[in-house]
Amino acid sequence: MSIERIDSELCTGCGICVNSCPMDVIRIDRESKKAVIKYPEDCMCCDYCELDCPVDAIYVSPEKYAPLMVSWC
Amino acid sequence: MPSENVVETDVLVIGGGIAGCYAAIKAREQGLDVTIVDKAYAGKSGASISASVGWMAFNPEWDLDYDACMNAFNKEGEYINNREWGKVILNESWTTYRDLISWGCEVPSVPLEFIKRLPPFPNASLQFRAQTPVLRKQAGKVGVRIMDRIMVTDLLKHEGKVMGAIGFPMESFDLYIFKAKATVLCGGGNSFKPAGFPISMQTGDAEAMAYRAGAEITGKEFLSTHPTKALYPAALFAFKLSQGGAYSYYFTDATNQKHVSFIGGGETGTRGEPDLSMEFLIHDGKGPLCFDPNISPPEHVAAIFSTVKKQFDSKKITHGGKTPVAGGAAAGYQNAGTAGIWIIDTNGTTTLPGLYAAGDCGGTRYNGAFNSTPGLGTGPASVTGRRAGGGAAEYALQSKKPVTDNNVLEELKKIVYGPAERKGGFSPRWATQLLQNTMIPYFISYIKHGDRLQAALTYVEFLKDQIVPKLKAGDTHELRLAHETRNMTLNAEMILRASLLRTESRGTHFRQDYPRRNDPSWLAWTKVREEQGRMIVSKEPIPREWWPDLSKPYEERYPSAFPGE
Repeated sequence: MSIERIDSELCTGCGICVNSCPMDVIRIDRESKKAVIKYPEDCMCCDYCELDCPVDAIYVSPEKYAPLMVSWC
Repeated sequence: MPSENVVETDVLVIGGGIAGCYAAIKAREQGLDVTIVDKAYAGKSGASISASVGWMAFNPEWDLDYDACMNAFNKEGEYINNREWGKVILNESWTTYRDLISWGCEVPSVPLEFIKRLPPFPNASLQFRAQTPVLRKQAGKVGVRIMDRIMVTDLLKHEGKVMGAIGFPMESFDLYIFKAKATVLCGGGNSFKPAGFPISMQTGDAEAMAYRAGAEITGKEFLSTHPTKALYPAALFAFKLSQGGAYSYYFTDATNQKHVSFIGGGETGTRGEPDLSMEFLIHDGKGPLCFDPNISPPEHVAAIFSTVKKQFDSKKITHGGKTPVAGGAAAGYQNAGTAGIWIIDTNGTTTLPGLYAAGDCGGTRYNGAFNSTPGLGTGPASVTGRRAGGGAAEYALQSKKPVTDNNVLEELKKIVYGPAERKGGFSPRWATQLLQNTMIPYFISYIKHGDRLQAALTYVEFLKDQIVPKLKAGDTHELRLAHETRNMTLNAEMILRASLLRTESRGTHFRQDYPRRNDPSWLAWTKVREEQGRMIVSKEPIPREWWPDLSKPYEERYPSAFPGE
């Protein structure tokens, strides 16, 4: 769903995708120093991270699922 | 203990899109210390980064009809457009466009006839996602301080004057206090994080913080009506393709009848927003509506494909031809130059001393009840930004060092970090979902009725009074979500109250219980403001010399009829 994959083999940890995401979905992992999908539920499928990644490590699926409606959360 | 960072600056610009960058560069030209702060990354955030259709730039050397443009503003805006700002935009958009090119923005080399494709407005072509990165670079080059990934939540006030703002960064629980002589809000419009239109970062932050500080907000009843494709409705390219053509929506209804909405040029006008025809058909049970590239001009389809081809290839999908459409791609979003923080002059000045606004959150009203043409979000954002930057600089040059009140600061700190310190409460994502379910359906935001608006308002008031004060956040990302939800909820209330107040139909505001324009009673703007914790609505008549000729028949003043008229 939405942002699906950041290939850690390809990722160089440049951080461009973190800045390309207006929704703060991607962060650089402190230990691996690579980009990770931290908050996929907030991805708006704009594809900007995928378009900007210099090593084509990111894939954004066009599918997005809404969470189920519950009484409280 | 989180650390407190104090940033002192002459002019603080909140939001780093087109308007924000132009405002900052202009203020910096006066030799002032200027800071841009953005909750994401300046130059890559907001609606600006997705702008691709065009940039309205009126070059007086081209053989263009100035009066025809002014008339289009009036006719499409249904007379409640601010003509002073219309003039400023026509007069200055070529200067700002030329600046953009001189700063290194590559634009496609297009023949003049292509620039004139949406008459009477000139529409200079842009490359997708090319302009704001150039603007950021230029701002940095001239010495503007750029601070990314810091969400500003509220404005700082002292003795009735705005003296900066307060916020928090995405990566830590630190606090940022911006002390500024003048503040320019360029934070974009509001949306309810809809599907398709890439504006989910636009959560009405600027209007909400201005409102809480005591500013007036105008035009909230006019909402954007873009649709998306029912297949992959969330994806940006689905929205792009939903147009079926570059500048118009070509679609068929369930009985296979052909329709077109979002008219670009020609005999029927130059609308920058689709009209409500899709919503009316759906309400009549004529759905599903289908986008049909076969009835679109082939060159329009080709133009759309060129912007999304890379994404299509990546997803290994082909153009599906005729596909069903879903509404609400821009749910809750306002027309550029219609809604926003009430501006009292042509320098972006608000009713609060020290506060200026531009771009989508600036209530400059150069567009009235409709956005007059595609490209009237981008080009004018550069002009309103430049104007507000100039206004703020002039104010800052005459102002003393900013002062902040410690008691006020302590209160605001509690608000900033409230959701993170709360032991229990509600999830911001869930509260946002409730808000979306209330505000996005077509029968609330598009085909309106007093009874339903009132029902939605009762619901939204409950969210505002009972849920928002109990939002909780486990980390800074959720803290951003909590503040966004707080701002969107406030914007929802503004939309509903302004829609209830305007007891007529005009432009993108349609009331089933008042299906006609009401001249001269509603040749007026709506405004909301806070008074002792309550949202107060008021009506501001447009200048009498801007009235249409009331001796002309209604049908001549308003050629497009609403159903039920």
